[in-house]
Amino acid sequence: MNPGQATAGRNVGVLRLCGGVCALVTLVLAAHPGGARAAAVPQSKDEQAKAWRDIAALPDFWQGTWQSVSPIADDFPTPPDYTPSALAYIKTYKPVEDSPFANCKPLGLPFVMNIGGMPMKFFQSPGMIALYIESSGMTRFIHTDGREHSERPNPTYLGESIGHWEGDTLVVDTTGFAPDTLFQMGKLSQKTLAQGDPSPLSGVIFGQHGPDLRLVERMRLTDFNTLEVQTTIYDDTMFKRPYSLPARRYIRGIERRNEPQEWACTDNRDYFDPTTGKLEIDVKDKAQSR
Amino acid sequence: MKRANSNRKLKLGGLVVLMAVICCSTVADAHHSFALFDRSKLTALSGTVREWKWANPHSWLMLAVRKANGVEEEWALVGSSPNMMVRWGWNAADIKAGDKVTVDIHPARDGRPIGEIHTVFLPGGKILGDPGGQTGEALAGGPSNLPAKPQGEPYK
Repeated sequence: MNPGQATAGRNVGVLRLCGGVCALVTLVLAAHPGGARAAAVPQSKDEQAKAWRDIAALPDFWQGTWQSVSPIADDFPTPPDYTPSALAYIKTYKPVEDSPFANCKPLGLPFVMNIGGMPMKFFQSPGMIALYIESSGMTRFIHTDGREHSERPNPTYLGESIGHWEGDTLVVDTTGFAPDTLFQMGKLSQKTLAQGDPSPLSGVIFGQHGPDLRLVERMRLTDFNTLEVQTTIYDDTMFKRPYSLPARRYIRGIERRNEPQEWACTDNRDYFDPTTGKLEIDVKDKAQSR
Repeated sequence: MKRANSNRKLKLGGLVVLMAVICCSTVADAHHSFALFDRSKLTALSGTVREWKWANPHSWLMLAVRKANGVEEEWALVGSSPNMMVRWGWNAADIKAGDKVTVDIHPARDGRPIGEIHTVFLPGGKILGDPGGQTGEALAGGPSNLPAKPQGEPYK
């Protein structure tokens, strides 16, 4: 049981004992700022005003949008400490010959943060930060109201994200992923790769993450125009110890052309054949899944 | 326009771009196929637009191309996401069925009549560069210099 639930349980008891007057007191207690239920009751005008003032003091993630300037694939400069099952998987792994995400199926986290081409934009309101990722047309909802993770979050492509600030760093903790979010578990050694392979995905090892995958992202500005996101992956089916990836970089765009746009995926005619690792294009009848 | 650069500067610039492509592969756009098209080659294809599909994840230009021997071929050319193209000056209404256009494409490695759009030369003189395969910096920075005329090997 998390603290929020404990508070709720106690409140029910108090309500039964003393009725109407106490109920008002209980409501106020339950709505304490930062508590798990803070967003579930209306805030007063003063509370809202204070919340917006607090937001104004935060690092400026908000102006403009953020365009990825890091390579699509993550680098794994030190080999992860893989579990035996992950090692067995890698031993027989045949790298994909092509992009496994040329159609409309959502990529999900963590890989959706790697896709550039189109920018991301942060929005803020009391208790929540939203991050619109144009390349998938999806929005991450990062709860900053002090709640804890659900005991059994339903699986989603972007997971359940909870954020808090450590100084100027936004720390985002995410769990509750769909089993088929695109997951890069490592990179094959350069020596094993064909020379001159033009694909930025050459050598990337994709695999299926475990049910308890958890990501901890540390997001901070290194200067006004640069956002860094450093992700640590917790997945005990994959890594014996959590693996910390090198930080990815995003640059700020404030011009009108860099404003966010709608991204609706409607023309699903590319088909990635998982058995051959090859992409077929312009085949409308087969193009249904990633 | 920065086209007045000295030749030496251009060559140096070309070398830097080439090196960036070879050693870093920092292309930002990954929805595209990497294996199907040869990004080191350009072919100039002239024909009549059959269909222009402005949609995500990719735009498509279907082109009827009459070869020197009189045979007509139907080409399927894939472009970037409209979201990226619009930031590089494209508009959905720029192209319509019946237009006679020339397109520099990256051809298929296996010789099929498919290609990846590089630059489109419209009948009214407008030139549109496809942002596919560019770096994040180039995408955030807006359209780069465009060639004044087709650069590819003419398709016959």
